[in-house]
Amino acid sequence: MSDLKKKYWRSLGERNKSPEYRKQLLKEHRTEHSHDPNKFSRRSFLTIMGASMAMAGLAGCRRPVEKIVPFVKQSEEVIPGVPLYFASTMPFGTSSFGIIVESHEGRPTKIEGNPKHPTSLGASNLFMQASILNLYDPDRSESAINNGTRKKTDDFTTYWSELYEQAKSDDGKKMAVLSESFASPTLFRLKNEFEKTFPNALWATYEPIANENRKKAILNLTGKELNPIFDYIKAEIIVSFDDDFLQSGENSLSEARSFGQRRQIDSPESKLNRLYVLESGYSITGASADHRLRIRSGDIDQFILALAKELKQRGLNLGVLGDRSTVQFDKNWISAIADDLMNNIGKSIITAGLHQSQEVHEAVLAINNALGNIGETITFVEPRDTAYSSLDSLKNLTDQISLGQIDTLIIIGGNPIYNAPADFGFVALLKKVKNSIHFSEYFDETSDKCHWHIPRSHFLESWGDARSNDGTLSVIQPLIAPLFDSLSDVEFYSLMSSGRLVIGYDIVRNTWSKIIIQNFEKGWTRVLHDGLYKDSDMTKYIPKININRLNLPAISTATKVMSDNLEIVFRQSLLYDGRYANNGWLHELANPITKLVWDNAAVMSIKTAQKYKLENGDMIMIKADGHEIKSPVWIIPGYADYSIGLSLGYGRKNIGRVANNVGVNVYPLRKSTTMQVVTDINISRTGEKYEMSNTQDHNRMEGRAIYREASLNEYRDNPKFAEEMVEHPPLKSIFPDYDYSKGYQWGMTIDLNACIGCGICTIACQSENNIPIIGKKQVGNGREMHWMRNDRYFTGSEENPDLVIMPVTCQHCENAPCEQVCPVAATSHDTEGLNVMTYNRCIGTRYCSNNCPYKVRKFNFFNYTKDLPEMVKMSQNPDVTIRSRGVMEKCTFCLQRITRAKKAARKEERRVSDNDFMTACQQACPTGAIKFGNIINPNSVVSAAKKIDRNYALLAELNVRPRNTYLARIRNFNEKLATKKEKSEKH
Amino acid sequence: MNKPVENIAVPHEEEPLVQGGLGFKAITDKITGVIDVKTPKVWYLAFGAALSLLMVLLGSIGYLIWEGVGVWGLNNPVGWGWAIINFVWWVGIGHAGTLISAILFLLRQRWRTSINRFAEAMTLFAVSCALIFPGIHVGRIWIAYYMFPLPNQMSMWPNFRSPLLWDVFAVGTYFTASLLFWYTGLIPDLATLRDRAINKTKKIIFGLLSLGWRGGNRQWRHYELAYLILAGISTPLVLSVHSVVSTDFAVSIIPGWHTTIFPPYFVAGAIFSGFAMVMTLSVIARKIFHLENLITLNHLEKINKIMLLTGMMVGYAYATEFFIAWYSGNMYEQFTFINRAFGNYAWAYWIMISCNVLVPQLFWIKKLRRTVPVMFIASILINVGMWFERFVIVVTSLSRDFLPANWDYYAPSIWDILTFIGSFGLFFTLFLLFIRLLPMISMSEVKGVLPEADPHHNSGGGHE
Repeated sequence: MSDLKKKYWRSLGERNKSPEYRKQLLKEHRTEHSHDPNKFSRRSFLTIMGASMAMAGLAGCRRPVEKIVPFVKQSEEVIPGVPLYFASTMPFGTSSFGIIVESHEGRPTKIEGNPKHPTSLGASNLFMQASILNLYDPDRSESAINNGTRKKTDDFTTYWSELYEQAKSDDGKKMAVLSESFASPTLFRLKNEFEKTFPNALWATYEPIANENRKKAILNLTGKELNPIFDYIKAEIIVSFDDDFLQSGENSLSEARSFGQRRQIDSPESKLNRLYVLESGYSITGASADHRLRIRSGDIDQFILALAKELKQRGLNLGVLGDRSTVQFDKNWISAIADDLMNNIGKSIITAGLHQSQEVHEAVLAINNALGNIGETITFVEPRDTAYSSLDSLKNLTDQISLGQIDTLIIIGGNPIYNAPADFGFVALLKKVKNSIHFSEYFDETSDKCHWHIPRSHFLESWGDARSNDGTLSVIQPLIAPLFDSLSDVEFYSLMSSGRLVIGYDIVRNTWSKIIIQNFEKGWTRVLHDGLYKDSDMTKYIPKININRLNLPAISTATKVMSDNLEIVFRQSLLYDGRYANNGWLHELANPITKLVWDNAAVMSIKTAQKYKLENGDMIMIKADGHEIKSPVWIIPGYADYSIGLSLGYGRKNIGRVANNVGVNVYPLRKSTTMQVVTDINISRTGEKYEMSNTQDHNRMEGRAIYREASLNEYRDNPKFAEEMVEHPPLKSIFPDYDYSKGYQWGMTIDLNACIGCGICTIACQSENNIPIIGKKQVGNGREMHWMRNDRYFTGSEENPDLVIMPVTCQHCENAPCEQVCPVAATSHDTEGLNVMTYNRCIGTRYCSNNCPYKVRKFNFFNYTKDLPEMVKMSQNPDVTIRSRGVMEKCTFCLQRITRAKKAARKEERRVSDNDFMTACQQACPTGAIKFGNIINPNSVVSAAKKIDRNYALLAELNVRPRNTYLARIRNFNEKLATKKEKSEKH
Repeated sequence: MNKPVENIAVPHEEEPLVQGGLGFKAITDKITGVIDVKTPKVWYLAFGAALSLLMVLLGSIGYLIWEGVGVWGLNNPVGWGWAIINFVWWVGIGHAGTLISAILFLLRQRWRTSINRFAEAMTLFAVSCALIFPGIHVGRIWIAYYMFPLPNQMSMWPNFRSPLLWDVFAVGTYFTASLLFWYTGLIPDLATLRDRAINKTKKIIFGLLSLGWRGGNRQWRHYELAYLILAGISTPLVLSVHSVVSTDFAVSIIPGWHTTIFPPYFVAGAIFSGFAMVMTLSVIARKIFHLENLITLNHLEKINKIMLLTGMMVGYAYATEFFIAWYSGNMYEQFTFINRAFGNYAWAYWIMISCNVLVPQLFWIKKLRRTVPVMFIASILINVGMWFERFVIVVTSLSRDFLPANWDYYAPSIWDILTFIGSFGLFFTLFLLFIRLLPMISMSEVKGVLPEADPHHNSGGGHE
């Protein structure tokens, strides 16, 4: 990395020279370390996944020094080749997820949810799965940097202790901290200590993505800061106002879990909940809805007023809230929702997304209260040990800086240069600060402008603790010693508050000695083993809602609501707010809705595009209040007209080989007053075209019975509708049938009614099965490697279609067309019904792929792993072969897991049961839509699922006899709205 | 049918097969003359060009093997592209040679004699070109030998259910049989060359190659029997090779591939394209080497008639496919064919229809049938059309099969194109070497169709 050193020395050492010089430097800087993703050659791409040669020495088995190792599965010793599992916690904003980490000889390779932990319940989300790749990201910052020069952490400690003593003399008067939000007893304790040491110091907390308005609304109506907990199991009617609760937000994982549980119905008699979604964009929550209405984010407040009026007319006590509506919306919709809500008192949930104003959140809370949902489906917990993001605190900080009141600014995590509101002018402000310190995982945009940069450890390298949203306490334990010269969060906080560097282990234990009062050692080991503190205080709090304090949404007029004024809505992307920008897995996972990879775009409806004469890939200039960005256009039918969606987190500069210059940075349009929605904007065509890669060209099912669905009534009329959708002659094979009635017979079902299309299965599979990342160009060539993919189809009208998502993986056909055509018998069937690949035997004729009706076989067109750096190799699963160039690969139903479970069972002289193992996709799935197991065992979960009458085999008419089957989607239509009977293409 | 009986054509009333009053010696002189003269400049030019193209082929293959199959335009639904199209196309071209030499021989079509030698050579070279593609298109060429049933310690056999394996045997057999047949036919002529050779090296080489041929009666009797047997062996191969190649598609389950019409349809197409290639080559050869008296307009017209016939067979097959797709009631099939004609590859489909179905219709007109420039251009168009036929079959079916989510557009990369162009380099290099080193027209057989070789009257036939 000698050139990196040169760069820093140059750009910061010479910083006071003329602007031209700096401009030139910047240019050089950029060409040196960035990639235009369009210009990737295959070779240059291969380096993307990884590291420099300098990292090679770091690779190897590194064990943390401290005493850890309470196994989840007890093992007397580490047996090479046998993985160990450790419980830990992944902190995420003001919540955290309990995780189980698979470790091979001291090297963590896979993250799963901790089934005991209430926030994950064994499932996982994208960021949990992708974190493992972040750990081994060779682009992470390696060492402290002071004004462009590499330093040791000790140098910083010395520097800081001097500063510390100085600042102590005036109680930290000119000192400020800008932190990320967190919920952690230790961090909170250290924060308090810091504030005690420096009573005059300023502490600001900022997150670019935070539901501050809801927090303020709750505070206003209840007088308390509270965390709402939604119980989707109890909810019969769910109305989401612009809330993508299934994928966005800190609670989405557990919420998706409970929502999904309600969608898995066994028979036509089962009770199904009903989900209404009103949204401006198209989210996977919208795709999962029974009824979806597209409406601009800015018009939702008026819709809620109209709903309140309707509810009031039905006798609900809503006070003034029910009198303010002036705008007529679709009467059917309003009365349908109102009826449903009134018929399900105490059994509904109304939720609003973070794009909505405080007034909307207050109105929603008031309606929920009036409907009796508070205390039933919605409960609250009092947040503790939590630092919430507060835009006001950031505003205060920037004011103080511009007044020259701050000499020392410590930025803990976060990346304000990149993602602070544009009107704060953070770049200029930072120059006014004498001592700026940035603690972060990457040497990023903010680090570049600070005097000191201190590398931050990954959570898998650190001790720490966390409190999740519902109050569960847990400890973060390291799985590996830090790969770089970095500090963990607790160590850095402790250094800030005490001026001394203390080992993280001691800091955390110190905190916990006050949490576990009796029998500490035993309790501590228990917490580490379980991954959570069983006696966490999770008391539910049922507040009283003071309706008189309501801030009411402003009254609007119909002309304003129905107008064609544009709005921009900022959304979290697969990279979250940009912090996962250097993660190739997340870049290459197709966006569930747009199917774009390696890019973000200005997403809009057909009508919007027509008005501005735009097509996919047209570059537009978006101007808002003096700021402008250029973004390509992507059209998604079903977006609200005149609402444009922009995803946060792209367009990074100089942070890593993967992230650099991928997509468009939309933060410049985001102001402190327009953090979520911008209304006063201007768009114009630039005439440029921009090439984007997507994984799916064709959006319609062409009248084929692929994704099968019916309304609940249709299902009740004909429970076997799914299977009967396709008529075919008797299916006979010319080859004799193999006897599949003995031993284990593996099979899978995917419940389309529970599947929300989030794509976690894809990433979990990628992580488990060492699937390579191939880059934008190769995806553009149609060569994506994912074994598990999500097909997306639009059904219904052109302008406002339904969107359905269908996970497709190898169907493990008993009569597999791929096997028959392979000239060298490289793909064949085993006795347990698995369609297996012998990589060594495969010569790569690709005939199997041609003959696969599902096209789930993926070919290694190049040697994608040849140049994989040592460091990234550490993330690979040693149980799964790395495929060479010229070899076909595909889903194995996680054969390595099956084999491991069978071995273990054989030792214990018993049969493998459902509890022994799960496939990676099944384990990660947040809604439990995927079931896997032995289909000839009548008691297995999968046999039960296959008996459900919604069960159907995709393309069964080809007589391929797939082992994977689907359970058809059932839409619980409201009779009054079911006029949209055109539903989907008729089969 | 009230034509007078005397107007029924009898063989001897046909135009003579050899014109210009050439006798035995004149024929020998004329044909060996092509070899004996000092190598003409134009040959060097042509050979240089062909060799350059061959280098392009070798370069493209080298790069392909170095980098991986990804250098081509293939993608996930479309796992086979130009390589397989080229393979089928080249194999198809080979068919005319075998048909002319074997089937027409058995059917006593004596006009074949002046074109059979180079048609057979064309077969060999075309099959050589064809064989390259299945070899190089695999992902791991270094273990492509797994395709062969070689005994090994794992008792691992190839999969005999796979049509690709049948291909290995079918094309391998075809190449071997064609080579033997061609070589056997060459023996008397090689002896002639040996006898005429004026330098020692040639004498030795031709001496060895002619296997001691002296032209004795016994030798002729054995020779003719051997030739007849080889013709008998080759005849079913004409039908089997392309039938087997067609099973690469027909055995699959992909709509547009999974159809029983493929074997006859492919054979007709192969003969069609093969004759078109024979036409292209013979028009050039007779012009350059002044062989108009040996390869007469009469011959060319007969080729045109065969092209007209096979062209219509191919057209019939196209129509049948559509009918069956509709009649089957299978929505995937129906979609595939509508998609072929009107989908995103419609341009390829209509090129195919125009070249293969419409162009041959010109040959209904006798004047056009006997006009050299017309038939030359038509023959080239037909080969273009036949290439597109394979393109349509391979690409349209794969690019839009069962699940629309998988659909993708296939476009070749520069390496696909260069490899294909390069294969012409191999073909023409071999062909130019052939016409320089070996008699391109079978002297012994042409002499056999002279009137003086058959000193009988109109009673037909010779004696046994």
